[in-house]
This record gives sequence, structure tokens and C-alpha cells, in this order.
Amino acid sequence: MQDRDRGRVVLIWVCALHCEAKPVIDYYRLKKSHEERAFDVYRGDDMLCIVSGIGKLASAAACAWVAARYEHEAALAWINLGVAGAAEHELGTLFVLNKIADSDNGQSYYPAPAVATSLPASACLTLSLPSDDYRDDTLFDMEASGFIYSALRFSSAELMQSLKVVSDNRRQQTGKNRQRVSELVQAHIEPIDHQAAGLLRLRQQVAALEIPADSWQQLLSLAHFSQTQRYRLRVLWRYLGNREFDSEALLRQLAAQKTASAIIATLEQISYQDSEEL
Amino acid sequence: MVSCVYIESAIRDHPRAAQLLQRLRKLPLVEIDHYGEVFNPRAQNFRLQKQNPAIIIARKNKGQVLAAPEGYGLGGEHNYYFSHMLNCLYDCRYCFLQGMYQSAHQVLFVNYEDFGEQIRQTAKNHADKPVWFYSGYDCDSLANEPMTRFTEYFIPLVKSIDNAWMELRTKSTQVRSMLQLEPSSKIVTAFSFSDATSHARLEHGVPSIEKRVNAMSRLIEAGWPVGLRFDPVVYHRNYQSAFVDLLEQIFTRIDARQLHSVSLGSFRLTRDHFRSISRLYPEEPLFAQNMSLDNGIISYPLDREREMIDFCEAQLMNHIPVQAYHPCEWHG
Repeated sequence: MQDRDRGRVVLIWVCALHCEAKPVIDYYRLKKSHEERAFDVYRGDDMLCIVSGIGKLASAAACAWVAARYEHEAALAWINLGVAGAAEHELGTLFVLNKIADSDNGQSYYPAPAVATSLPASACLTLSLPSDDYRDDTLFDMEASGFIYSALRFSSAELMQSLKVVSDNRRQQTGKNRQRVSELVQAHIEPIDHQAAGLLRLRQQVAALEIPADSWQQLLSLAHFSQTQRYRLRVLWRYLGNREFDSEALLRQLAAQKTASAIIATLEQISYQDSEEL
Repeated sequence: MVSCVYIESAIRDHPRAAQLLQRLRKLPLVEIDHYGEVFNPRAQNFRLQKQNPAIIIARKNKGQVLAAPEGYGLGGEHNYYFSHMLNCLYDCRYCFLQGMYQSAHQVLFVNYEDFGEQIRQTAKNHADKPVWFYSGYDCDSLANEPMTRFTEYFIPLVKSIDNAWMELRTKSTQVRSMLQLEPSSKIVTAFSFSDATSHARLEHGVPSIEKRVNAMSRLIEAGWPVGLRFDPVVYHRNYQSAFVDLLEQIFTRIDARQLHSVSLGSFRLTRDHFRSISRLYPEEPLFAQNMSLDNGIISYPLDREREMIDFCEAQLMNHIPVQAYHPCEWHG
């Protein structure tokens, strides 16, 4: 099956466990995909949720696997949603992570605070093994550093967030009670949706600047373009596309040109003229 | 709107850092080891970050004072620059900072004393010759003045070094702190201006031309030397009439005989910066204009550039004495 036939995806949710993913699957009415074997994947309009399994390696692998499948998308937004341990915070408190540290290699990552939010922010330490040796200044989890390490290969830091709900603290442990974990996440589904909407607005700003894949293919079919000419063609077409020129009319005009050089010269003339007004 | 504050753990107790934290206390605070962890990673989108940049409070550990690039300055023999900040409050589309840095966050360095020591040492290395120190290369010198209190430290410092002079380059109107100090002929505040069309289309967040002319006028009245910088001049269909109007607006308020210096240069960027910025802003007409590559620099074709500079120079000479004029020479 071709990647393009899988449908459009602009937002990817990455959860370690089904019980963490369930509130998202229910809220957005995602449907399980039966085509995938490596990971459980749930799809909906413009989004999917991948269940990675526990641990930072599993999370990183899931991100890389899904990003490779949607590399043709102009930009991908990502949310890592799951539960975390905390020393004193109340069970059920939702945090947006502003610093993710990997306990094994000491590497720190800083998700960009690009979406305005009223949610409290916290640092999080990603561990390789479960621990109840809580620290006051940070949450504990087992996936966030793998998620961000991998997602940063495919998208800019502004287009990803890690959201964590406290499931355990010094006094109480939800532990392996899956239904309780789902309830803790479900209680925040509206602010979680708000965060997703903010990310999607940013993602749209980036994607809107890109050339739609079908237009690009049409352009390339007009003549043989060298790599240098392709670069120039992309710059010119992105400009004119974002200046709201009628792309169909332009393509008809270009179809009369016989060579790549003539096509580029025509687009340059149009661009130069248009840009003189600033 | 500022989104959050990052601070290097090692300088949390520095008095200037503590002052900044007090001022920014309502914002989320994140501790980091080194500003490069946040500022330098490649997977960042300058354009998105610029909408809600963060402030990074940091220490500059080395290279506080650097030799100015070739052609930068006012013709003096020894030219250096220093940056107490990285990045700018404003969002000028022609600015090279968008192409130079991965991040739009503003880095505020607080270890002014280390900068001061290097300024003293650099001046000492040139004994009795005049040495110029330029501020405002990687940032706007005055735009964040209420926060950085830059002038309070650096103006008395430069005044106290016999062979040191300083230029503060700015598009800001934040001159209140300077007006509280004793003026000095060794500190030149250089105001950058573009014509009204370029200002409206390209200088996002920059105070109006009128407000900046007012700020200049107040400094002159108080006895401070000021300069004018028309750099970059940007081509557009009506650039000639717009430039004439700009000069009219400035020189009806400012007595040209009181100007320390005036410089003029056309729009130009290194090829790498041009490519990075035009990728970020593909819809921007400035980057779709007819340009040419000369020695690694992208600028207007020579005939257009010559026409623009000749015209603007001729107009300037109707207002200023020739000895105040310093063209920006950048061709190899």
C-alpha cells in the first residue's frame, strides 16, 4: 500500500499504554488500523495515535516508524501523552513538560513553549526502570526523552509537546490499575484538546508555506530540471503560491515554455514585477 | 509576548540575574546548564518562535569583545564589537539575525564586568590610538534598556577609558536612561531608519519614524552626539520619493550640523543567511526581488545598487556636511 493511500495525518499522538491512549481514541473517535503490525495505530481525521509500549526506546522507535510513513506531509505535530510520578503533586494533575532529562546519559531537551497555555509546567526525568525515589523538582516517566529525541529528527521543537498526568506520588500509587489511569487522563481531555488545537494552528502556519505535493509533481512534469533548477523553481513557486497567484493559470502559462530555463525565466519575471511593490 | 524564562543555574545568584528574575517573576522559569542547550539546537523554527520568544539569562564565558567585520565602522583604525544580548525585540525582515541563529529567543548576558574587563584590555592593547567599540550588532543596543540597564554600566566604563569610543546602534526610543547621565562626546547613539514604505512592510514592532526622530532630538538637546544609519536601503518602486520624504521628516526636526556621522548602504546578506531567511519567509517580496551574488554576498545587481546609492547620496548631500558621511563599503 502506498503511504499516500493511508490518508492525511498532521497530528501524531504517542502513548506508551492503551489505557493512556484510550481517552484520546474515544474523544476523537479514532479507529484501529488493521494494516499495521509493528505498533497498534488508531486513525481519525488528520490524526493518528500510536501505542508504543513502555520505555524510551519503544517511544523513539514508534516516532521514527510513524514519521517515516508520513514523510511526505509538509509538517507533523506531535503530542506525547502519558502518566508520570511526582513527589508531592496531587494525583491527576496535568503538566506540560518544559524540560526533559534522560537519566542514563544526562542529556536535556527543551520543548519550545510556543503554544500559550494555562497548564502548569514541569521538568521530567526519564528513567529506564521504574522508581519510587521521587524528587521534589521533577516528574518521573519512562518515555519522554525517547519521544523528543526521535520527534526532533522530523519536526521543529515548536510542533511537539509532552503532556503528563500524575499517577503516582509518595502517598498514593495508581500503579497498574489501567482503568484508573484512563480516568486520570480522561479528566483532562478538554485542556489536552486545547493544547492539540494550539499545536495544529502552528503546524498549519508552517504547512501553508509549502508547495502542495500535486502542484510540485505537475511543475516537474513540464520539463527536465537539474537540481539547481529545482531549487530555484521551488523558491519561485513558494513565493508566487504564497502571494495567492492562481496556480492553475500559471501552470497553463508555463506549459507553453519548452525548457526548464524558460520556465524559470518566466517565473522570475513575474516575481520581480510583483515584488517591486514590497 | 514573552513565553518563559530560562536561566543558567550557575548565575541564579548574580545580582543582575536576580534583578531580571524579579522583573520577570510571573513567567514560567526553567533552569538550564548553558544557554546553548536551548539556543543552538537545529530543530527550531525561528519564525514560530518569534511569535512568543523566551528570555534566556546567561553568562558569556569568552569572546565578549570581537574584532568588527571588514567594512564595519566609521573609518577608524581599530574597531571592535560586543553584544550584551543575542537577538532583538523587533522583527525586521531584512535582518541577518534571522538567518544566523536557530532560535528567536533573546539571550541576555549578565556578566557585564567580564565584558568591561575585555573592553579595557582591548583599549590598552592599542595604547594611545582611538579604539571604537560597537554595540548593536547582534541585538538592538537600547530596545531592552528597562530590563538590561546596559547604559548604566557601559557608558561610564567607556567614558573612563581615554582612548575608547562607543557606538550604540538602535531603532528604539528608549533614551530615558541616557538622559539621566552626563553626556559624553565619546558615546554616539546611531539611529537606523528606513523609508516609510520599508518601515511599514519590513520593520515589524519598530517604533514609528516620528517617535525615533523625537528620541534623537531629545538626545541632541541634552548634548549627546547622534548618528544616522540608512542601512539597509531597500529597493521598491517608489524608493526615491520615499527616501526624499524620510530625509524631510528627519531634517525638519534635526539640525544636520549636530550629527556625528551618517552612513548609507543597500540591502545585502551573505548567501547562507539569505537562503535561510527566504526559506523561513517564502512569501516575502524582499527575497523575490532581482538579486545577484557577489563574493558570497547576495545584493541588488550592481547597476541597480549604484543607482540607489547615487540617488540617496545626492539627496543626503542636500542636508548634511560631506565630512559626516560614511558610505558602507562591502564590495571586495
